[in-house]
Amino acid sequence: MVTSGVNEETKARLRPGSAALLILWTAIGAGALLLLLKSVQNSAEFGRLQPAVLVLNVIGVIALVTLLTRKLWQLVREYRDHVPGSRLIARTVLIFGALVVAPLLIVYLSSLEFLDRGIDSWFQVEVKQGLNDAVRLSRAALDLRMREYSERTQSFARTLEKVSAADLQTRLDDERVISEALEIVLFGGHERIIAASLENPLETLPSRPPSDLLRQVGQLRPYVSLEPQTGGKYIIRTAAALRDPLASTDSRYVVAIYPVPAQLSALAEAVQRSYSQYGDVAAMREPLKYSFRLTLTLVLLLAMLAAIYGAIFSAQRLVSPVQDLIAGTRAVGKGDFGTRLPLPSRDEMGFLVHSFNDMTKRLRRAREEALHSQQAVERERERLAIILARLSTGVVAVDRKLTVSMANHAAGSILGTDLSAATGRALPELAATNERLGQFVAAIAVRFAGGREEWREQLDLDSQAGRRTLMCACTPLPGEDSDMGYVIVFDDITTLLQAQRDAAWGEVARRLAHEIKNPLTPIQLSAERLRRKLLSGMKAPDAEILDRATHTIVQQVETMQQMVNAFSEYARAPEMRITRFSLNQLVTDVADLYRSQDPRADIHLVLDAQLDMIEADRGRVRQILNNLVTNALEALEGVAQPRLEITTRSESGGDAAYAVISVCDNGPGFQRELLGRVFDPYVTSKPKGTGLGLAIVKKIVEEHGGRIDADNRSEGGARVRVVLPVKDSTRSATGGTRTRRALAEGERA
Amino acid sequence: MLRGQSNRSTLHRLVLTLGVVALAVASVFAFADALDGVLEVRSAYVNIDNGVFLLHARIEYPVNPAIRDALRDGVTLTFDLETRVDRERRFWFNANIVELTLRRELAYHAVSDRYVVRDVRSDEQQTFPTLEEALGYLGKVDGWPILVEPQLDGGNYVISVRAGVRRGKLPASLRALMFWADDWHRVSEWYSWSLPV
Repeated sequence: MVTSGVNEETKARLRPGSAALLILWTAIGAGALLLLLKSVQNSAEFGRLQPAVLVLNVIGVIALVTLLTRKLWQLVREYRDHVPGSRLIARTVLIFGALVVAPLLIVYLSSLEFLDRGIDSWFQVEVKQGLNDAVRLSRAALDLRMREYSERTQSFARTLEKVSAADLQTRLDDERVISEALEIVLFGGHERIIAASLENPLETLPSRPPSDLLRQVGQLRPYVSLEPQTGGKYIIRTAAALRDPLASTDSRYVVAIYPVPAQLSALAEAVQRSYSQYGDVAAMREPLKYSFRLTLTLVLLLAMLAAIYGAIFSAQRLVSPVQDLIAGTRAVGKGDFGTRLPLPSRDEMGFLVHSFNDMTKRLRRAREEALHSQQAVERERERLAIILARLSTGVVAVDRKLTVSMANHAAGSILGTDLSAATGRALPELAATNERLGQFVAAIAVRFAGGREEWREQLDLDSQAGRRTLMCACTPLPGEDSDMGYVIVFDDITTLLQAQRDAAWGEVARRLAHEIKNPLTPIQLSAERLRRKLLSGMKAPDAEILDRATHTIVQQVETMQQMVNAFSEYARAPEMRITRFSLNQLVTDVADLYRSQDPRADIHLVLDAQLDMIEADRGRVRQILNNLVTNALEALEGVAQPRLEITTRSESGGDAAYAVISVCDNGPGFQRELLGRVFDPYVTSKPKGTGLGLAIVKKIVEEHGGRIDADNRSEGGARVRVVLPVKDSTRSATGGTRTRRALAEGERA
Repeated sequence: MLRGQSNRSTLHRLVLTLGVVALAVASVFAFADALDGVLEVRSAYVNIDNGVFLLHARIEYPVNPAIRDALRDGVTLTFDLETRVDRERRFWFNANIVELTLRRELAYHAVSDRYVVRDVRSDEQQTFPTLEEALGYLGKVDGWPILVEPQLDGGNYVISVRAGVRRGKLPASLRALMFWADDWHRVSEWYSWSLPV
């Protein structure tokens, strides 16, 4: 869009400029043509207009050079910057320029040569010589007449020498008429007129003798001169001195002026005029050449500059749409499909630009559609991701090589590892660090190896942290061979199974308590009655047998009673009596009690001073501790250096605070196969005991909203870890075990 | 970038203009010393004769072989004597009262071997056997009426005289062609003096 905007702006700026230039050139051309026409009609007009034409030309040349310099500079810069199209423009300009400049130069040089020769031919030596000869001829023709008149004047002067003063005027008049002179004047000393005869005495006066005449006559030499007159006439002025021996101081001389015949005058005048005109023109020879050369050079410059400018201008006009196309293509290459190019014309270039615009329009539409679909897919994906993340079921998608393509959060937490960064990695590689994941991977690898692609099975995973039971289902994902994959969906059903077991055992205990406890009392009473009634009346050996038998019955019944009570206790759900007490104090009390009972018991306490009062059923927590310590001490029997450690610790998880009680021993630890079920009733590795100790502990812990787990320590021995909420409100919030058991029963039903 | 570019184009223009000017100047000086020599108004004065101011002037015109040769080749020279009378003004340019030109042509008459001086206005002509005499005649102007008393109405007046020589009598078209290459044209300094009224 930006590109197209800039282009349109440039075009808009160029158009008025080109229009103005066009008008200017048209005006100059028309003006030049007009001037040419006028000058052809009238050369004087041409002379008058020529300075204007020249000034106009000089201005034109300066303007063109300025414009051309700018254009060329712009071209050079673009060429250096590798602007698209600049090379094409440069080439076009070079070709156009060469095509125009070469013939122009040829015409210019030949014109110059022609001009020089032409002007030189005007002033040929022959012409000059001819004129000089004409002048000489005229002079020769006139010289003859001048000599004749001079001699006549001299002889007349000699005749005058003897003439008396009274006859002078008559002689002069006679002579003037005879000789057809215009005037004859006799001068005395100091240019004094002694006598004068004029053709028209009323209109003219005797003319004054010129200085050279006086000089010559003073030297007693005859004088003759040809004098041009106004109107192309000539006169011949002759003078001769009179030899007067009487008056040497006042020498006399006669001056006669004769007309030159009109025909001769006209011819002489014509020769003179030609001579003068030729002289005037010949003097102009060099300046004329110079002027013509300059004019021609100016015209050449004007034409050449205009041609080059025109070449650049046309090349730019021609290449402009190509440049637009290049810029547009680049923009499209960068992903800007909004580019629209201005249509230059209706020619092939216009068609190309139109096609380009059409293409970008289609591309833009296609991209928008693709974007919409992509957004829809993205939304779907996000929705799916949220659903998967919120699922408590673990979902893992893998390919044939067990490379993870997707794993949700629940999968990680069920398998006890973080799978958030597992995407793209192979499951066996991840399994190296996690035992449970290793078993999981091994289980599914076995099934894949067996060619089973779709299955649903229960998997049991054992690890240090305990046994987990997963309900696992695998389905192949649709796809080509190369990217075929599987989705494995699994649920941790350990808790569910446990709850089912708890519920079953509760029921068993309740029935046992109910069904067994009732006949026990009559059995015991009957045995005691037999003993009381019969023992005293029997003989010693019989009495002893009876005594032993009844004693055994009573003892066994009591044992059974205890057992039934224990079951009853397990099945019972008494009201909790929540009080606030110090857990550390309670732990110390219990430890002290066991130490006093069994001096061998090496019980260590590591108590967290930060752990303050907790809210719980004190009696039941004591029972937890009793059961755990008893359990541990029983396990330590036969161990060389028995050691029991009870640790309390304060822990916070989420919003609530928890008290953690750990009971560790250095005994043989739990049997590995029992590790997942140690809290089930009747799961025990010991020869004696009801097998309900840990089951009851678990029940009490769960009633308090806590949790319990058991594992073996890496350095040897067992560890049981009890986590109890510090506040009763936390327990209420978590619901307690009864709710969960009810839920489990409901599920089982 | 833009600034640099504009500077550069200014430079281009400057160089170009200088070139054109240099060409013009060179053309003016191409034929420089054709009218070499002294050209000045040596002295000038006016006298009043019956209310008419008559100018008398002595002018020295250049004489050199180039002029002589040119005349011998048939070239005509025009001699102008320009006179102007200005009224002085204190706070402004002087006001021109009169501006006159006495124009005469000098040519060599090849047929008669004489130098002809012709008054262009009156078409009167004088012939001289030598160039010196012709120039002497041209350089001596006596009693040229330039002003009549009624044209003056008080104040100070300045009379200025200037002599000029140029090659004249060319066809109009050629004279126009020569407008930049005419070295055959010189004028003297103004010779000015105040007119006491």
